[in-house]
Amino acid sequence: MASTSRPTGPARRTGGIGQLSAYAAETLPFREGHLALVSCGEGSPVTYLHGMLGNPGEHAFLSALANNGWSVTAPSLPGFTGSSEPSGLRNLHDWVVAASELIDLAGVTGHPVVASSVGAMIALELATIRPEAFDAMVLIAPFGLWDPQDPVADPFATTLSNQRRMLTADPAASASFFDDPEEMPADLLVEHGVDRYLTRSASAQLIWPIPEFGISERLHLVKNPVTLVHGAKDAIIPASYLNKWEQILPNVVGVHCVEEAGHQAEFDRPEDIAAIATSALS
Amino acid sequence: MWVDIDPALYDPEVGNRTYNEYLDELEFAAGCGFDAVGVNEHHSNGYGLMPSPNIIAAALSRNCPDTNIVVLGDSVALYNPPLRVAEEIAMLDGITGGRMVAGFPVGSPMDTIFAYGQNPATLRERYHEGVDLIRQAWTRDEVFSFNGKYNKLRYVNVWPRPVQQPHPPIWIPGGGSVDTWDWCAQEDLVYCYLSYFGYKAGLKTMQGFWKKVQETGKEANPFQGGFAQFIAVADTEKEAWDLYREPAEYFFNTCLHVYAGFADPPGYKTPNTVRAGVEGMVERAAREATARAEAKKSSPGGGYPKGLSFEEMVEKGYVILGNPTQVAEQVHELATTMHIGHLMTFCHFGNMNKDLVRYNTEMYATKVMPEVCDLFEDEYEDLWWPQPLDQPARRDVPEVSVS
Repeated sequence: MASTSRPTGPARRTGGIGQLSAYAAETLPFREGHLALVSCGEGSPVTYLHGMLGNPGEHAFLSALANNGWSVTAPSLPGFTGSSEPSGLRNLHDWVVAASELIDLAGVTGHPVVASSVGAMIALELATIRPEAFDAMVLIAPFGLWDPQDPVADPFATTLSNQRRMLTADPAASASFFDDPEEMPADLLVEHGVDRYLTRSASAQLIWPIPEFGISERLHLVKNPVTLVHGAKDAIIPASYLNKWEQILPNVVGVHCVEEAGHQAEFDRPEDIAAIATSALS
Repeated sequence: MWVDIDPALYDPEVGNRTYNEYLDELEFAAGCGFDAVGVNEHHSNGYGLMPSPNIIAAALSRNCPDTNIVVLGDSVALYNPPLRVAEEIAMLDGITGGRMVAGFPVGSPMDTIFAYGQNPATLRERYHEGVDLIRQAWTRDEVFSFNGKYNKLRYVNVWPRPVQQPHPPIWIPGGGSVDTWDWCAQEDLVYCYLSYFGYKAGLKTMQGFWKKVQETGKEANPFQGGFAQFIAVADTEKEAWDLYREPAEYFFNTCLHVYAGFADPPGYKTPNTVRAGVEGMVERAAREATARAEAKKSSPGGGYPKGLSFEEMVEKGYVILGNPTQVAEQVHELATTMHIGHLMTFCHFGNMNKDLVRYNTEMYATKVMPEVCDLFEDEYEDLWWPQPLDQPARRDVPEVSVS
C-alpha cells in the first residue's frame, strides 16, 4: 500500500543549502558525439535525470541532494544541455536505447534515480525493458499519459516567456535556463542561446505532438519502488495525473503533491523535493 | 487566422464562390499573358484556402493551355510517402504536356508543425529525405528500393513519369533559413524568397543566397533566384493609392495575423539559422501582429494605431505601387538589386473584389511586364523553366449534346 502525504507545504529554508557543494563537469565520448554530465556531493549514489529545463549544472536542487548526503550524478540526455544529439534518434525506441547506453557510460546503472518531466518519462520507459537500470525511482511530473477530458497542455504552442511561466510556478526559478549570464562575452552568449534552443528542441522531439506513446500498456513491467511528486501549480500536466500514475504503476510507495511548485517542482522547491527524495530513497 | 481559427466561421457557400473566383482570376492572368500562374499549400488557414495545391493545379491545367503552372509548392514532409508528390506532379506534367514547375517548401510552422503535427526537430530531415526520394523516383530508370530514415519503400516505381526530362524544374521556397541557401546553391535549385515584406526587407536574404552561390564557384545566374512581391498598379499613381489602400491594410493588419506562439516552435529552425540570428518571415509576421495586439491592449479606448498605414507599406517596399511606368521602374530596381530572374507577383491581396483583381492583373501584364520581362535574357539562360512538348496533345473539352 502506498504511503501518501498530500499536500506537502513549503519547508523552512534552513542553513546549509546555500553552500554549493563542489561540482565536477565531465564530457564523455558518446556514439559520434559526446555526453555531458555534472556531479557533486559525497555519499550514496543517486542519479538525476533532468526535465524540459535541461541539466541545471550547479543548482540548488543538486546541492540540496548533495547536502543530504548523496553523491549526485546528472547526465544530460542526448541533445540537451551540452550533450550532442546522435543522428539516430527517430522515435521513442531510439531514445530509450540511447538512455540505456547513457547510464552505462555515466556509470550510474542500478543506482536510485530522481527523474523529472521528460527525463521521468524516459526513465519509466527504460525501466519497462531493463529492470536493473535503476533502483528506486522518484518521478517528478512524468510525461506519458493522456486524458482527453483533461489533456496535457501544449508547452510549445506559446511564446518563450509563456513557456517559462508554464515550467515553474515562479518564473525566477528557471533563471539558470532562460536568462543569459551577466558579463558573458557576446560570442558565448550566442552559443548559450543556441544551447537553450537545442535543449528546447530536444524536449519537443521527445514529446511532440501528444506526449503519449502507449506507456500505460507497459507499466506493469516496472517493479521498482516509485515515489511520485507533482507540483500543485503544474501548468502543463494537470494534477489529476498524479492519481492516474498512482493507479497504474504496480509499486508506488509514495505520492506527494507539492504546493507552490510548478511542472519542474525541483526548480521551485529544491530543498523540499530533495527532502522527499532523500526520504524515499534512503 | 491560422491553426486555431474558429471552424464555425467557415461558410460553405462563400467557400464555393471563393474557389471559383480564384480559379477565374488565375485563368484570367494566364489569358493576359503571364508566363505562369502559381498555387501554394496552406492548412487550417482562413486566408489561404489551398491545402492541396495539386488539386488547384489540376483544375487549371486544361483551361490554361498556354501558360506554365508553378506549384510552389508541395510541403514534402506532409505526404506519406512523399512519392505521392512525385506521382501527382508527374500526372500534372503529363496533362499539361510539360508545363509544370515543382516547388518543394519545408512549409511554415503553422502548416507543418501545428496543423499537421510534424515533429519540429525532425521536420527538415524528413523533408530533405522526401525531396531526395522524389528526385530519385523521377530520374532512376529502374525499380529501386529506398531505405530512408523515415521512408522505407521496397519498390519505388513512379508511374507516370514526368514529360520533362529528367524532371520538372525544382524551385525551393524559403523563409530565411541559411541552410536552405547552402542547399539550393549546392544542388542547383532555384531559391525563392516568399516574403510578405517586400524587396527592401528581402535584399539581405537574397544577398545571403547569392553569397553561398559564389562560394560554390558557380555562376550567379539570376534565374536561380525568385522573389514574391505585392503589386498595386493603376493608370495613375493617385488612382493606385485610392484603389489599393483598403485591401493592403486589410491584408497586412488583419489577414496576416500569426500568433507568436505558432511562429517559432523549437527545432523548426536549424542551429545555423539560430546562430546567425536570422528572423524568418513568419516570425516577423508574428512579431508585428503581437505589436498590434499590445498597442490595442494598451489603448482600450480605441485610439491605438491599427497597424501599418498604407503609406508605410509602400515606403517600406511591402507594396510596389504606382502608374505602369513607376511600377516598372521599381520592379526593375527590385530585380537588379536582388539579382532575381523570377518574380512572383501578388496581384490579389486582402479583400480586393474580382474586378479590381482583374484590373491589377491586366495592367501589370500589359503595361508593366513588357518593360521588364527580358531583363536578363541576353546575358543568362534560364535553366529552371519548363520545357514543354513542341506540340503537346491537347483536346478541348467536348461539348455535351443531349438528345
